[in-house]
Amino acid sequence: MTETPHNENKVIGEISSKFKIEAKLQRERRIWVAADKESLVGLCNFTKGLGFEHLSAISVTDWPEEGVFELTYHLWSYSQRILLTIKTRIDRADPVIDSVVPIWKESAQIHERELHELFGVEFEGNQDLAPLFLEDWDGPPPFRKDFNWRDYVRERYYDKADEREKTYCE
Amino acid sequence: MSEKRLIANEQIAPITEEGTEYDFYFGPAHSGSGNFGVKLKVDGERIISARADPGYLHRGFEKLMEYRVPIQNAVLSDRLCVLEALNWNLVHAEAVDELTGVEVPERARYIRVLMAELSRLQSHLIWYGVMSLALGFDTGFKVAFGYRDYVLDIFEFITGGRVYPAGYICPGGVRKDLPEGYREKTMNLLRQTEEMMQKMKDFSNVVFARRAKGVGVLKLEDALRLGATGPVLRACGMKTDVRKDDPYEIYDELDFDIPTEKEGDAYARCLIRDREMEESIKIIRQVLERMPEGKVREPEKITPPKRVKIPEGEVYVRNEIARGEAGIYMRSIGEGEPYRVKVRGPDFLHMIPVLEHLLKGSQIADVPAIYWSLNVCPADMDR
Repeated sequence: MTETPHNENKVIGEISSKFKIEAKLQRERRIWVAADKESLVGLCNFTKGLGFEHLSAISVTDWPEEGVFELTYHLWSYSQRILLTIKTRIDRADPVIDSVVPIWKESAQIHERELHELFGVEFEGNQDLAPLFLEDWDGPPPFRKDFNWRDYVRERYYDKADEREKTYCE
Repeated sequence: MSEKRLIANEQIAPITEEGTEYDFYFGPAHSGSGNFGVKLKVDGERIISARADPGYLHRGFEKLMEYRVPIQNAVLSDRLCVLEALNWNLVHAEAVDELTGVEVPERARYIRVLMAELSRLQSHLIWYGVMSLALGFDTGFKVAFGYRDYVLDIFEFITGGRVYPAGYICPGGVRKDLPEGYREKTMNLLRQTEEMMQKMKDFSNVVFARRAKGVGVLKLEDALRLGATGPVLRACGMKTDVRKDDPYEIYDELDFDIPTEKEGDAYARCLIRDREMEESIKIIRQVLERMPEGKVREPEKITPPKRVKIPEGEVYVRNEIARGEAGIYMRSIGEGEPYRVKVRGPDFLHMIPVLEHLLKGSQIADVPAIYWSLNVCPADMDR
């Protein structure tokens, strides 16, 4: 059985003292931090220095009523064996955020490219935000909450004249 | 017209003045996985650059899950990767369990690990099959798929489904208890798998070493930068495994090793998988020995799904699946359906940045060896 260094509190302490933000321990090996948009890149740089060299994933959560996109960066440290999640909120009407490509390179690049396509978030500094999955797509970014895919499919793909497809069209 | 469509319809680029540069399209239909293409820019036999072209299997699971309750999503999670449905079942179930805070019965946790390791075995057998096919070794392909069918027989026996277990590993435990006689059948399967592994050893020097040694070398610093995980990362010398580093279910109570190699080439990735199968067999033996009695689901009675709410909160769970690190971020606002599900598949990184990096500078003839040594699955990349 491998020994686990329990460094959660040390990481929390280092982050809170450097950035004056609150980091909370969810459970063993899980730390969550909320940062504002401006300090994100600085914080990411700092955490990479702490050993969080693996960017596991980036995700966007859409909150249309509050008018924000919430971005979550899930970072893993191979040496400390801790998962750190950094959350930040950006304006939904002007979804621009600095890219973390300079920090995590290609692995960040591809996550940002995907989120740009599915949520329409602009990552400033990411050179390649070309379409990834969707072919000939002219609708809004489809993973946003206000995109109704049922209506979209009904309008585009069902044949209203076809008797058998009436249940879907109406 | 989008950039992508242009690529698909593009004619072979005109011969340049030097007369040797052209575009070469690998996929989207090829043996084994299919549904994924790479556009190669080639100079003679040498690849100058590679650009991955995903999307052929994009089904929008993350969005679909926002409209469904966990018991439905458990079934959907099968389809995240055709080649290892039970492992993805487990990732999803763990995310929901962590949100609901349910105490999964001990027997269910053992069954989950048993199924996850069997799934890893059959996934590695598929990999062996398609890797053989890629190297022009058809016998290996047929033998491996034959032996994989024995694992599928067990899946059918236990879950009712051969490839898709229909959400057998569900939130709260597993759908139903193990049928009578599972122990003997599984032990028999392990003997058959060991027989196959002996065959793999006998074959390896003839085919694999000659075609895969020194091909597609990935350095450790590149692997970390490109986001490689699992066997691909371990083949570069990094000793890491989510089952050990971030243990889930009962993995911290089990005794197994993490195989690593140093070379980082396609052959090292082959060796890693061989040895991982041995470790999986070791784990399954321990699980069978220690399998406790008790219930397999909490709560035992299935309530109508619409009445079950997921408590508010957010989690990020990670599992080690056959291909690498699998993760699910789940956010709930206290409704029956999750508010947001983000699926992190290992092949999203392996098939785009890692593959593009490895193909650059290699020979056309090595493309299949590199591609299959990564053991890719377009389904979990596209989701």
